[in-house]
Amino acid sequence: MSNINRRTLVKGSLAAAIAGTALSRAAFADSAEPILLGVSGPLTGPNAQYGTQWKQGFDLALDEILAGGGINGRKLAYSFEDSQSDPRQSVAIAQKFISDPRIVLELGDFSSPASMAASPIYQRGGLVQFGFTNSHPDFTKGGDFMWSTSVSQADEQPLLAAYAVKKLGLKKLAVLHLNTDWGRTSRDYFNNAAKEYGAEIVVTEGYIAEERDFRSTLVRVRDANPDGLVLISYYSDGALIARQARQVGLKQVICAASSVYSPKFLELGGDAVEDVHVGTRYFPEDPRPEVQKFIAGFKKKYNGLEPDAFNAYAYDAMNMAAAVVKIGGTDRKAIRDAFTKVKDVPSVIFGAATFDVASRRVKGAMNAELVVRKGQFALWDGKPT
Amino acid sequence: MASWLDYTINGLIVGNVYALVAVGLALIFGVSRLINFAQGSIYLVGAYIGWVAVVQLHTPLPITIIFVAVVAALVGLIIERFGLRPLQNSVRIAPLLATIGISFVLDQLVMLTFSPNPRALPSQLPDVRFQLGGGTIGPLDLLIAGVGISSALSLFVFLRYSKLGWAVRAASQDRDAAMQMGVDVNRVNQAVFGIAAALGGVSGLLVGMYYNQIDTAMSLQATLKGVVAEVVGGAGNVPGAVVGSLLLGLVESYGVAVFGTSYRNLFAFLLLVVVLVLRPNGLFASARQAPPEPLTGTFIAPSRPVRIPRWALAVAVAAFAVLPLLPVSFYMLQTLINAWLLGMLALSLTLVAGTIGQVSLGHAALLAIGAYTSALLSLTLAVPVGLAIIAGGLMSAALGTILISPSFRLRGHYVSIATLAIGEIVSLVILNWESVTRGPIGISGIPPLSLFGYDLISPNSVYWFSFAVMVALALLQARLLSSHLGRSFRAIRDDDIAARAYGLSLNRYKSLAFIFGGFAAGVSGGIAAHLYSYINHETFNTQQSILALTVVILGGLGNVVGAVVGAVALVGLPEIFRIAAEYRILIYGIVLLLLVRFRPQGLLGTI
Repeated sequence: MSNINRRTLVKGSLAAAIAGTALSRAAFADSAEPILLGVSGPLTGPNAQYGTQWKQGFDLALDEILAGGGINGRKLAYSFEDSQSDPRQSVAIAQKFISDPRIVLELGDFSSPASMAASPIYQRGGLVQFGFTNSHPDFTKGGDFMWSTSVSQADEQPLLAAYAVKKLGLKKLAVLHLNTDWGRTSRDYFNNAAKEYGAEIVVTEGYIAEERDFRSTLVRVRDANPDGLVLISYYSDGALIARQARQVGLKQVICAASSVYSPKFLELGGDAVEDVHVGTRYFPEDPRPEVQKFIAGFKKKYNGLEPDAFNAYAYDAMNMAAAVVKIGGTDRKAIRDAFTKVKDVPSVIFGAATFDVASRRVKGAMNAELVVRKGQFALWDGKPT
Repeated sequence: MASWLDYTINGLIVGNVYALVAVGLALIFGVSRLINFAQGSIYLVGAYIGWVAVVQLHTPLPITIIFVAVVAALVGLIIERFGLRPLQNSVRIAPLLATIGISFVLDQLVMLTFSPNPRALPSQLPDVRFQLGGGTIGPLDLLIAGVGISSALSLFVFLRYSKLGWAVRAASQDRDAAMQMGVDVNRVNQAVFGIAAALGGVSGLLVGMYYNQIDTAMSLQATLKGVVAEVVGGAGNVPGAVVGSLLLGLVESYGVAVFGTSYRNLFAFLLLVVVLVLRPNGLFASARQAPPEPLTGTFIAPSRPVRIPRWALAVAVAAFAVLPLLPVSFYMLQTLINAWLLGMLALSLTLVAGTIGQVSLGHAALLAIGAYTSALLSLTLAVPVGLAIIAGGLMSAALGTILISPSFRLRGHYVSIATLAIGEIVSLVILNWESVTRGPIGISGIPPLSLFGYDLISPNSVYWFSFAVMVALALLQARLLSSHLGRSFRAIRDDDIAARAYGLSLNRYKSLAFIFGGFAAGVSGGIAAHLYSYINHETFNTQQSILALTVVILGGLGNVVGAVVGAVALVGLPEIFRIAAEYRILIYGIVLLLLVRFRPQGLLGTI
């Protein structure tokens, strides 16, 4: 291991010199230089929207960290490399980060193919890959340098199932899910939990991410005669399904996974998402101080814009990274070990986040049961819709 | 039974939406024999211009439509004048690549101007619903149908009865003859691009309003579905495009009805392949219609390839071979590994597209077949990785050739479209055949590359391995091309009738080319699978196929060294432009356009 590191350092600094960045080796140790994190994510290509949302969350967290005195007096910063969520590019970025001695920790990538293709490189190179949106059950199995704060679907989906079945009293469910690794995993956890709570899954339909027309799918749903629709969707497709469901005259209760939690869901869905139930990890009126700080800060920084789920994941991830670097310093191995030591980091998603060392994930996501009322997300008042 | 009525209505409604794009594509294809990959981007531009009009300027609907049509038409005219007209005397394949480059540039411009976040595009029509069967339709459905059908009808009348329409048809049948008869061909092209772009822009606006959602990813999907619908109806046939769209909508809807949502696109692309095989000129082609011109063949300007002396090639190979011993970063090695893997794919494609003239747009499917075969063999049967990769190559050669064989009787653009469809079908089968491929969950924990029991883990060893495999495949291919086989391949490309007259069996030679090409692509996919350790149905997508074709055209069709040079250029350029962050794909698109403009025969020329 140690000889790889030495070699990487030499190569990295040579590359830096060749590239003309003109950083002297002394500069790396200079405390005036920021501590640098690498981010591999989509800024262009079909998933570009998520990369921009990450940036918003990161920047807010960094502002707060700097205002709080930085990391032991040093500034924290990130270098965002656009991968287009393409495995071919994420592996090159991984090599780039590993050979850059200034990078102490890596965040991302967004999609499973891009993230998990890069995992072996991070593992062998000894740089932590902190995948905060990687819910694929095998992501952290890539090695002891893979850590994730992505909410485990094994945690999240039973909460949604409990909301739909126990609280809303739905007995016959139609499940529509995004046919990706995330959607499939979520669907299986949801269906198992819902059945356990006594509901029947009358139809499940998986759709691809580019799908826009759901009318025929909704005829299948109607013919299965459910009393509720469950959407395991992102906000844009979730809004499309809700709109088309109402347009074709389906009046059943709709429940959606937390990934639709975004002001965009309300904007894109319009009247059709009224009364949609959403299980989320936080909500605007949440009295928890970390949530209030996050929402107020976000609105102030981005001209009144409401933060969404992906903003929150990125914000939390950056705060977690800061907490880890505070303990581990700038040594990559020490940073990995710091993930096992870090405790109760204030988190919008988890309240207080502590890693489960065995699974390298965080358990115990917060839960809030919301419903859309008058075009706003509000805490569910217990009344049936 | 009532449900069937609903499925039919829904199919017609979504077919309506496809028709708007298909009509514009058909118009352009009818005149310039060009699949305009930029049509989806104009549709995207129209949607965002519409958003500006509706949300910012609060224009009423008729003004919005006129505004969008005018701006989109202007964009179309600019594309025609600066993107395509300079290429009209160069090889026929150059404009195709130019439209791909233009679509990169337009999509990126929209993304940079409006951010990639999806936006709501509220409908400006009253929200009344009419009960129809078990569902409802709204005024927007009627408007979309009205625009689709009336534009197709008016175009039909225009082409048949107006003077400019005659000129358009004359130019499409025989450009040179039309010019001799005094038709101003440039003006005709302008008119066609203007009309098609206006239509594309308005369709983006209406579809955006229909879903109350626009985003920058909508362009490629619109192009794909539009192309399918257009070809089903008969490429270049405007009313046929409307019927093709409705048929496509119906087949998708019935597919959902019978097998479920995740099979939807499978049916769309199967329909396309079936139509192409049974009625290669589309459902409504007249028997008297002239056969489609081949894309390559006599239409490849006989360019003089750049001769690279053997010693220079040997020096280059040696230089790249010793590269890891020099102080270069792992990042650079990894980038070159990607280039070598893409190079193998490009070797495969340059053989089938350049040498034998079967321009494939579904080549990523061969990567996927090789990757899944190798990954599954090494994981479930514990086959040594080296053997598994070879097996992946063989499987790709066999399966790829069988899948592609129905399209052997097709020519020109139809081969591209059939292969595009076959590529999509393979990807959808991987998604749905869960018992074997593990569906969307993908395959994780694929063992790393190894050879004779030694793991190849360090970037150096992976680099040497992939470089050696690529060089070996390139040498083999160069040997193949200089043999009688290579001459037969080129004979088929240049004139298949003459080749047949000499007793060459077209299908046999085409199969041979695909067997060899499939092997190279499959090996590339197999290596990639072991390099990434995780693959799923999205790893090898349509963008990869388009990238491979770009590489091949850029390097020079049929040119072995050109394929490798093109791969290094197209993997390297986006990495070099990293410094430009969000702007890098825009710059990449512009560089691509400039290359096509000034080297339409490819960097190293066609062989």
